[in-house]
Amino acid sequence: MRLLRLFQKPFFGIISLFFLVAFATSLVCISAVDSQLSKEYTENSEGLARSIADSSVDILLNRDLSTLQALIDKSLDIQGISYIYITNENQEILAHTFVPFVPDEVLQGIEELFQKDPSSPVHRPLNLSGIGDFIEVSFPILRSEAGRVQILMDQDNISLKIQNAIGQQVIWMAIILTIGFFLVLILVNLTYNPIRETLDYATGLARGESNDDPKLQKLLERKDETGDLARLFQYFATVRDPEKTGKLPGEKDE
Amino acid sequence: MKTKKIQPSRTRASRRTVMKGVLAGSLLTPFVHLRAQDSQMSNSSPLTSASHIQGVSDNEIVLGTSAAFTGPSRGLGIELYRGAMAYFQHVNENGGVHGRKIVIKLYDDTYNADPAVENTMKLMLEDQVFALFGYVGTPTVTRVLPLLKKFQEQEFVLFFPFTGAQPQRQPPYGPFAFNLRASYRQETAGLVNNFVDIGRKKIAVFYQADAYGRSGWAGVREALSKHHLKIVGEVTYKRGDKFTKSFEAQVERLNRDKPEAVICIGAYAACAGFLRDAVDGDLKVPIANLSFVGSENLLKLIVDSQEDPGQYSRYLVNSQVVPSYEDLSLAGIAQYDDFMQKYNPGLPAQWSDSDYKTFDRSFVSLEGFLNAKLMTEILERIGPEPTRGKIEETVFTINNLDLGIGEMVSFNEARRQGLDKVYYTIVDRDKNVFVPLREGEWSKVF
Repeated sequence: MRLLRLFQKPFFGIISLFFLVAFATSLVCISAVDSQLSKEYTENSEGLARSIADSSVDILLNRDLSTLQALIDKSLDIQGISYIYITNENQEILAHTFVPFVPDEVLQGIEELFQKDPSSPVHRPLNLSGIGDFIEVSFPILRSEAGRVQILMDQDNISLKIQNAIGQQVIWMAIILTIGFFLVLILVNLTYNPIRETLDYATGLARGESNDDPKLQKLLERKDETGDLARLFQYFATVRDPEKTGKLPGEKDE
Repeated sequence: MKTKKIQPSRTRASRRTVMKGVLAGSLLTPFVHLRAQDSQMSNSSPLTSASHIQGVSDNEIVLGTSAAFTGPSRGLGIELYRGAMAYFQHVNENGGVHGRKIVIKLYDDTYNADPAVENTMKLMLEDQVFALFGYVGTPTVTRVLPLLKKFQEQEFVLFFPFTGAQPQRQPPYGPFAFNLRASYRQETAGLVNNFVDIGRKKIAVFYQADAYGRSGWAGVREALSKHHLKIVGEVTYKRGDKFTKSFEAQVERLNRDKPEAVICIGAYAACAGFLRDAVDGDLKVPIANLSFVGSENLLKLIVDSQEDPGQYSRYLVNSQVVPSYEDLSLAGIAQYDDFMQKYNPGLPAQWSDSDYKTFDRSFVSLEGFLNAKLMTEILERIGPEPTRGKIEETVFTINNLDLGIGEMVSFNEARRQGLDKVYYTIVDRDKNVFVPLREGEWSKVF
């Protein structure tokens, strides 16, 4: 389909606007998904840490550590959780899920956790050499009087999940954009055809060609602007003497 | 909403009338029929709903087991089962218990908690076994115990699990189980005390990263604290790790801590792998294992894989909860030896095509044998009309029972563990078998 010069600028304008809107929406989406998912993972981890902390009180006071270990082992099935460890009030690790050993960075960071507000959860980034980057969520057990529960979420894993979510958003945006592009083309085409016919009709009139073509009759019956234009051309044709000049209005002498 | 009251003691529950069992039995008739259809162990005719109450029919009494029969720890489940079957076959050949044969309904849990829970549900609700018997492992049993509490109205009891962990020895789940073996606390305390006595005070731990490992770790920690000592280093491995896996990272880490002894709380495949890499990695200190390890399976892996197995096995010292099967002076051991030779139980029918090579004798099968012997005694004492409600009061009648191993077995309200003694063994490097390590010999060996 050849695009009328008349529509070229608006068409590309609309497409550019489409891309601009899609790009801006994508940026907003990416930012929203990123912050929302990050927040969700952190909140879920904090919720889990709180739940383990609540359950741990009874186990720490009345039961044995194998029950505590069984409790945290079960929680490892939850998506995004990489490691869990529980420390007592003496900052000693009582149960954990690290294999083959507790990383030094974890051991060194315990003291800092206990220096924070004993009643508040703590969120902090943690790099474990050779393992990766994590977000550590720490929750107190009995206001840290009985220790703290720590949950480590793999940052790469979270990033991957966020990227996947964003990727899905972008794919949907691209699909909508493509559909929009073709819709614009169809709409432009709908406008293009009557204008083309009107132009053909006007040219035919100017050349003194017969106007009994049923297509032209249909054009003259149109109720829109192209119909008005066609009828106007017909009017001009009746007040013009084409045999005198044999030229269209505005056509120069050779 | 009306809530059920939890009974502080199961004795009260045990006095409920047989009528309740009859009612439960008739309600569960469809499950009973299912059990009879798919049972691969039973040789008797299908049971009638009237005669089959709580896993007991006119001619059989059904016990339920979930254990590892496949996977890296299958040796434990298989050997425990074989030992038990050696005794049960003898009982069944001699008319059974009050005319009923003892049948074991088996399921494989691969030493994993989720299948163990699923299997137990089947055993309790579909198969309607009389009692649960011979489970293997802490992570499995720990997860199964809440089921016993959940279905406490049906009065299920877990007999003699192959684990020394605490959850089935203390509230809130202690009242739902009876143990024969000594606990991990007792085993680890014994190992720690002996090491400390010979001057090896820097003790490290290699343990399975789960409830079993934690149970042993806690035992070592507690025992060391009594000597005002701490664990000098600790490394872990993932449950299910095979012998072929490298444990060099763990050895490298422990070498940094320079321990004078290492206590392993694991299963045989990983512990054998650790021993190999420890000796190869110049961590040449005594390496102790708990009874759960499956000593013969561990030694076999070393012997089969190393040109000079003695270079590795010389560092081994394993605690056991039964006497050495070499000690034929004990009547119970002689009987075990005799029955294992006579019946030589094979693998369970479901897994008979496995490439697993059984042991003529082992500490694990000896424990299974003793479990079966005590179970038979309990079933005898319950009488000709057994119900689950009678179990607890019957077990409490056992006082100074002689199983023929030189230690008396007693149970009562405050005591739900039959034996307390811990034995120690080292490897006879000429014969490649575990032999007793007696008191006073520790300093000579290490």
